[in-house]
Amino acid sequence: MAETEGTMQEKIDRSAVDNDASAVALMEERERAELERTWASPKGFFGWFTNTNHKDIAMRYIVTAFVFFLLAGIEAVLMRIQLARPENRFLGPDLYNQIFTMHGTTMMFLFAVPMMEGIGLYLVPLMIGTRNVAFPRMNAFGYYVYLIGGLLIYTAFLLNVGPDAGWFSYVPLSGPAYSPGKRVDIWGQMITFTEIAALVGAVEIITTVFKQRVPGMSLNRIPLFVWAQVVTAFMVIFAMPSVMLASQMLPADRLINTHFFNPAEGGDALLYQHLFWFFGHPEVYIIFIPALGFVSSIIVTFARRQIFGYTALVLSLIATGFIGFGLWVHHMFATPLPQLGQSFFTGASMMIAIPSGVQIFCWIATLWGGKLSLKTPLLFVLGFVAVFVLGGLTGVMVASVPLDLQVHDTYFVVAHLHYVLIGGAVFPLFGAFYYWFPKWTGRLLSERAGRWNFWLLFIGFNLTFFPMHQLGLKGMTRRIYTYLPETGWGNLNLAASIGAAIIGVSVIIFLINVAWARRRGLVAGDNPWRADTLEWGTASPPPSYNFADPPIVAGRYALWTMTAETPVLKGLSTKRREVLVTRVMDAEPDHLYELPGPSIWPFLLALATGETFIVGIFTPWGFPIGAVLSLLALFGWFWSKPKSEGGTAADSRQEQSLLSLGEAQGLPLKKGA
Amino acid sequence: MSSSMSSNMGSRPTLNVAHLPSHGFDTRAPIWWGNLLLLMIETTMFGILVATYFYLSQNFNLWPPPRSEYPVGYNTNPMLLIPTINLVLLILSCAPMYWVDRSARRARKRATQTGLLICLVLGLASIVLRWFEFPAMRFKWYENAYGSSVWFLLGMHYLHLLTLTAEVVFLTIWVFFRPFDEKHRVDITVLAVYWYWVAAIWIPLYAILFFGPRII
Repeated sequence: MAETEGTMQEKIDRSAVDNDASAVALMEERERAELERTWASPKGFFGWFTNTNHKDIAMRYIVTAFVFFLLAGIEAVLMRIQLARPENRFLGPDLYNQIFTMHGTTMMFLFAVPMMEGIGLYLVPLMIGTRNVAFPRMNAFGYYVYLIGGLLIYTAFLLNVGPDAGWFSYVPLSGPAYSPGKRVDIWGQMITFTEIAALVGAVEIITTVFKQRVPGMSLNRIPLFVWAQVVTAFMVIFAMPSVMLASQMLPADRLINTHFFNPAEGGDALLYQHLFWFFGHPEVYIIFIPALGFVSSIIVTFARRQIFGYTALVLSLIATGFIGFGLWVHHMFATPLPQLGQSFFTGASMMIAIPSGVQIFCWIATLWGGKLSLKTPLLFVLGFVAVFVLGGLTGVMVASVPLDLQVHDTYFVVAHLHYVLIGGAVFPLFGAFYYWFPKWTGRLLSERAGRWNFWLLFIGFNLTFFPMHQLGLKGMTRRIYTYLPETGWGNLNLAASIGAAIIGVSVIIFLINVAWARRRGLVAGDNPWRADTLEWGTASPPPSYNFADPPIVAGRYALWTMTAETPVLKGLSTKRREVLVTRVMDAEPDHLYELPGPSIWPFLLALATGETFIVGIFTPWGFPIGAVLSLLALFGWFWSKPKSEGGTAADSRQEQSLLSLGEAQGLPLKKGA
Repeated sequence: MSSSMSSNMGSRPTLNVAHLPSHGFDTRAPIWWGNLLLLMIETTMFGILVATYFYLSQNFNLWPPPRSEYPVGYNTNPMLLIPTINLVLLILSCAPMYWVDRSARRARKRATQTGLLICLVLGLASIVLRWFEFPAMRFKWYENAYGSSVWFLLGMHYLHLLTLTAEVVFLTIWVFFRPFDEKHRVDITVLAVYWYWVAAIWIPLYAILFFGPRII
């Protein structure tokens, strides 16, 4: 009896609460429906070309870049088939040249950088608690330009006009005298397209992080993932202009007879190498630093504790960003350099091991004594540590001039760069896929398939690339399409080819896992890993507006430090695409800014840019025509009104009074500052 | 899970930002930062072009090189008159742009319109003058590496003059035919930053391209 009475009393209490709660819930439901309408991405075929939602654009980057990864992977397998035994006749020399050039170019320009930026563009706004990137239309423009670049080079490749001078297209080989035809020009313009896209992405990320963080997220509370993206974005800003200039000067030498790289008229072939590697070396870090962000996120989540040495890790990222610009000449040790230059760049190359070492130690210290939950993402991170340390060791070796001269242009370098890039970027990337797939799709990938995926990749990778160290020391030079049986390289090459096949199987398992999980994977819920960063504080997949009420951040681990008392942000319009702009250092609320909605102009501007550089390959008229078209597109862009539901000041006032209904406690706003 | 979250949220404390203004000038505006980053990219680019210019000069005994045809003794230093006029014009044009900047901040429509028209005329004048700066270099882009590098430098700055003036054209049309709203007032102040940069970066470039050869 007493028990029943108790429940009766509880029922009464609860119904009183329910009345209140249902009123609030109703209002919130209405608010969400309105948000959904305001932020909804346009549908249909034409809608695809006008979408400006950062998650949709970022997912396009990720999917497109992954398709390029698969294409480049197929090219790698073709090369491994050709090299599996001496004097193989599977590929001819010309096709082999095109394929290794396409493999390197695709992996570096069409896969690695766009993939890392795509993941950043998806997650950064979520992690800092905002609703879209700072310049949504420009973001869409960046994607279209990238896509045009990728389509251009693959169309050319299928028409047998694929570039064939290596992924860095050194002059004089790539110059007018030794590479007639359009192959190198197409390579150059593809570079321009992808670099424009990378620069656009970098500007987006920095501005969004600086100006749109949720209140409370001061600079010293930004997740390490976001720091990694910011440092990368700054590196993009200082590195990419160099290769854009090189990729304009090279076609200019070829098409309109300038003499930048022509020694007969005072030009210089080494100038090209300087320009290329001033970009090319930072590029390695542009690919690798975002991966460090993945690693930090995954380690914190699966060690279930705070990161060891947050400040040391941030400073190491920044130090890597700076030192990364002082290394480019170590790619040119085989050219006549002054002795002092050689010593300086050797020193700098060895110095970069310091911040890398600090980071590895911080991660190990975090894992040490943490309650490790050995899920697939963490497995990939551990794989990364093992492989990357090996790549780092050979890196210190080739940083010294005498050793570099011995192994220059051999398979030793091929082994080194694959250990660094696959170890440093692809392993963490797969970890990131397993980690964030539930956020992107709402479903978990299979753990069992994940383990197969990891172990096959790990074994296949080492079987492919470890023997290449020895092949290099035995004198096998890179980029040769075949070799004689007497060289004795046959067995090691066969091993490498078998390894490549195992990597292929591993990637196929991943694809099957994705296809399976999309339909049948476990439903993830908001936060399947009980992680700490804000993206896990919203639905999976996130709604178009990211957060109905972004929570105010009270510490470095936003969700772990969140309590029932943590305030949420209110007062953003539900009728316009409004975001809160905050101050750079401490993220105090500053003003509300309306972002533009769907627009066709980014696509049209991308087409105009495409016309400029593609027609420019065939006639200089491409440039003035492109300038006029771009100008028209820009005028349309700036003239068109941002297209949201057309809210007015009156609307927002009405909303405000509605909102104040639901407010239990208002917090005093920090003004100005 | 999610429903309990939402019913909790009603009773959670809130930080209401509805009363905040809808725009801010300078470092408060995202577009100001976007513009700053663009200028960082472009400054890097000019830095690399200047490095290219000096790198190539190492391949020559005389810089600019002497003519290869008769008369070889002919002076090949770039001509000074028109480039100097353009330099002065660009520096002076910052004054009306500063006026535009001030007026836009204070929401003075008439002054902004007048100032923008003046800047438009100056921008167009600078574009026309620049056209004659290319022949002020005594080599064409296809004659030697010196010609290639100076034409590239001039051309890249020319591109900025064109973009800048196009932006002025756009904003002038806007302030005459569309509302003088806060968003576009912020845009005008950002345009001013761009304008100052285009003028400022030309000072070292002018010194290097036109004066450098006379000093060394």
